[in-house]
Amino acid sequence: MTGENRNIRKEIHEKLQDEALRANLGRFAEVYPSVRAAALENAGDVEALREAIKQMKVDTVDRIEAVADAFEAAATRRGAKVFRAADGEAVFGYLMDLCRERNVKRIVKSKSMASEEIDLSPYFKKKGFHVCESDLGEWIIELAGHKPSHMVMPAIHLSRYQVADYFSKELDKEIPPDIAFMVQAARQRLRGEFLNADMGISGANFGIAENGAIGLVTNEGNARLVTTLPPIHVVIMGYEKLIPKITDAALILKLLPRGATAQLMTSYMTLVGGPTPVMVKEGERWVEKTREMHIILLDNGRLRAAKDEKFKQIFQCVRCASCLNVCPVYTLVGGHVYGGHTYAGGIGAILTAFLSGMADFEKFHELCIGCRRCTEVCPGKIDIPGLIEELRVRAVKEHGLPFVMKQVFENVMTNRRLFHSLMRAASLGMKPFAKGNLIRHLPLFFSGLAKDRSLPTIADKPLRDRLKTLLRKPDNPIGRAAFFSGCTMDFVLPETGESVVKVLQDLGYEVVFPIDQSCCGKPVSATGDLETARKIARLNVQAFEKEPADAIITGCPACVEALHGYAELLKDEPEWRERAAAVAHKVREFCSFVAEEYVKQGRPLKTAGGPKVTYHDSCHMKRVLGIAVEPRKLIEAAGGELVEMKDSDKCCGMSGIFGVKYAELSMPILEQKMNNIRDTGAEIVACACSGCMVQLQGGLDKQVPGVKMKHVADLLAEKIEK
Amino acid sequence: MRRTCENWKRHLPAGKFGAHLFPEFERRAKAVSAEVFHVKTAAEAAEVVCNLARFTNAKKVVSVPSPLQEAAGIDAALREIGIEVYSDPADIAAHVATADIGLSGVEFGIAETGSVCQDGYAIESRLVSTLPPLHVAFLDSSLIVPGIIEAFEVISQLFDHGYISFITGPSRTADIERVLTIGVHGPSRFVIIAVDGEAQEGGAAS
Repeated sequence: MTGENRNIRKEIHEKLQDEALRANLGRFAEVYPSVRAAALENAGDVEALREAIKQMKVDTVDRIEAVADAFEAAATRRGAKVFRAADGEAVFGYLMDLCRERNVKRIVKSKSMASEEIDLSPYFKKKGFHVCESDLGEWIIELAGHKPSHMVMPAIHLSRYQVADYFSKELDKEIPPDIAFMVQAARQRLRGEFLNADMGISGANFGIAENGAIGLVTNEGNARLVTTLPPIHVVIMGYEKLIPKITDAALILKLLPRGATAQLMTSYMTLVGGPTPVMVKEGERWVEKTREMHIILLDNGRLRAAKDEKFKQIFQCVRCASCLNVCPVYTLVGGHVYGGHTYAGGIGAILTAFLSGMADFEKFHELCIGCRRCTEVCPGKIDIPGLIEELRVRAVKEHGLPFVMKQVFENVMTNRRLFHSLMRAASLGMKPFAKGNLIRHLPLFFSGLAKDRSLPTIADKPLRDRLKTLLRKPDNPIGRAAFFSGCTMDFVLPETGESVVKVLQDLGYEVVFPIDQSCCGKPVSATGDLETARKIARLNVQAFEKEPADAIITGCPACVEALHGYAELLKDEPEWRERAAAVAHKVREFCSFVAEEYVKQGRPLKTAGGPKVTYHDSCHMKRVLGIAVEPRKLIEAAGGELVEMKDSDKCCGMSGIFGVKYAELSMPILEQKMNNIRDTGAEIVACACSGCMVQLQGGLDKQVPGVKMKHVADLLAEKIEK
Repeated sequence: MRRTCENWKRHLPAGKFGAHLFPEFERRAKAVSAEVFHVKTAAEAAEVVCNLARFTNAKKVVSVPSPLQEAAGIDAALREIGIEVYSDPADIAAHVATADIGLSGVEFGIAETGSVCQDGYAIESRLVSTLPPLHVAFLDSSLIVPGIIEAFEVISQLFDHGYISFITGPSRTADIERVLTIGVHGPSRFVIIAVDGEAQEGGAAS
């Protein structure tokens, strides 16, 4: 997919109807986490390995030029030729000269994403060369005229029936949609390509600076043939594949096959160090010659990323695509929608920005919902969602937000009174506002009705108006807690806000509610508009300075993250930075704070007799804040019988405004969650995130009506009131 | 014959490798559809190869000599049952595309993954292990290292230039609908004949 004229919502709509894609990806996504875990069972300390890969890559990128020089010197000393290519044009120029000099007519390729990136095959075909992909998946998409939709499984979007059609056309005979038969047909058809090729082109999974060798990790055996039969071997690899030492390859090989395809090792792992012998037929005689080896190191934007303090992280990618395999969005729509010119998914968005351009990136980056599931599996520990947020910031800096969003953010979100009066007005009837263009961009506005999710209504009376009667100073308070409710608890779930207050008061805290507090700013900063986010941060810092407290408690993990980030956000304003840090320092997530207090006060952490409760881990709660144990303990403290659901930590599909903006995509994610909830037989779904609550409540109403949605605070408050 | 290293065994990590790792190696290799024949003597190895040739109706075998094969007299045994055997590099090149079986030695096994490590610097070693539908690899069952990390410690000591492969089961793909299918471009059958250390010591080339 190129950057121009993409209608991403239309593409999503089409892909969601694509049965082959949905079936293949769905089946794979379903089994991937468990087969990956099984493959890792004998891998040793996986976290230590990930850290080792990351460190090795970080050390390499910091001296990438020196490592490339060492690689070039080592490979050259052994007889290979190394060419540094700035971009695709440079690669074409070098190879055209080589082909002309050596009279190359036929080229056989094994998989190389770098060559996909520069559209190498189309170029050489246009110039009259015979070029053939030999990786089965790549060959299929070559016949189909597609781009890869997955880095490891390029044709995962196609069904056997579609493949049979392509094969029938190519082989000019009826090929039945029998997978084993088709694989044999491909073997026979492609065998001649290897035997008759004048040149073989491969990629590389790594290039070793120590001795100039390259490594290839494959299953089909085509890379071994490409590096064995033709008299010329050309390697096209990005700079990010360079590693310093031979033993560094072992780290990658421990996790790459396990993460990519849940194999302990692929069928073939091949190390080629310098030119090797080749058999050439001269007349009737076969004679041994030395194969030429050319290694092209492709820059194409990589070296610019290497010098970027944040984006040098892309060098930590080993191209295993684990991140895609766990991504709730990728596994629904695949890489043609959630992807750029060559690379798919979240990592694809980042690579696209550097290797293809920001325009291409901006067409699909919003599909990263920031659930951070990928960060748990990435062998190189890349902060994929963090880097996407950073790219959004840069995009906004460069050319601003879309006009309407800009108007809303700058004029409404930075003016608490206006924002809140709009929210109140919305409660009187959403209809008039639904038509307005302005309010559509407010974080809490849920436009349009979706058939599988009922939408929340703005409460008649927001939390801030209800607290007057509830907030009272207990006798001998053990401390003072300021409550940051967040917009959702304030205007949509005020009863949950009341529960938070009740639980804190029951612990002996005097609770205060700084009335000038407003949106935490997360929905704004997530779009990349840091200027507005800073204004909001200053307002909230002031609001909380007015009501000094021992702790600032919030029951929404996204708000916790936003508040904790204020000092970083205001880092260039020394006075504000200090003030923000002082406030942020006191901010605590509700469950972890309360669980700690329960232990301190010797309260029972397990009481029996309550209903069956299943717990949904919010992405922010589990992966940003790292809090998963405490809410479960509190459910049991409240008397609930905890029953775990499948994939409890998989995103519910809300993710801020994503769930509204991309409602069609949000629904199947929610549906999976609903099915997992139903399967537990629980009466209650508990959660500790107000954003997830809105989404889950909407899904329960329509899909699992008997089950109630509660915040952990609600369960505790009910227990107290009993 | 060109070798990435003349004496691999010398570089195996003392105290870390050995026959005690063979059961794990065998289990893992079989789990990825490699066929493993564990034999005690060279004579048994020859018998296994001849049976494979008979059962597969093989007519033509390409064979790269290795100490284990020579000790077992494999090529001669195959010729005795009427099979064409080619072992000269030029002959291998001429016949490999139509051969039924390829024979070669491998250097060591990896218990963690069920892989064998092949020194593929010689072109004939690669030809016999890539093109025929059945590749038979001869392995000394006492030369098993625990894992990938140890395997690369070995490689890092001896790898200046050349060609080294890990082979882990037969050629496979899952590119159509994620359905695992054996035998794409490489061999559809991968047989490991693991010969106990004693057997080769009793033979010619220890």
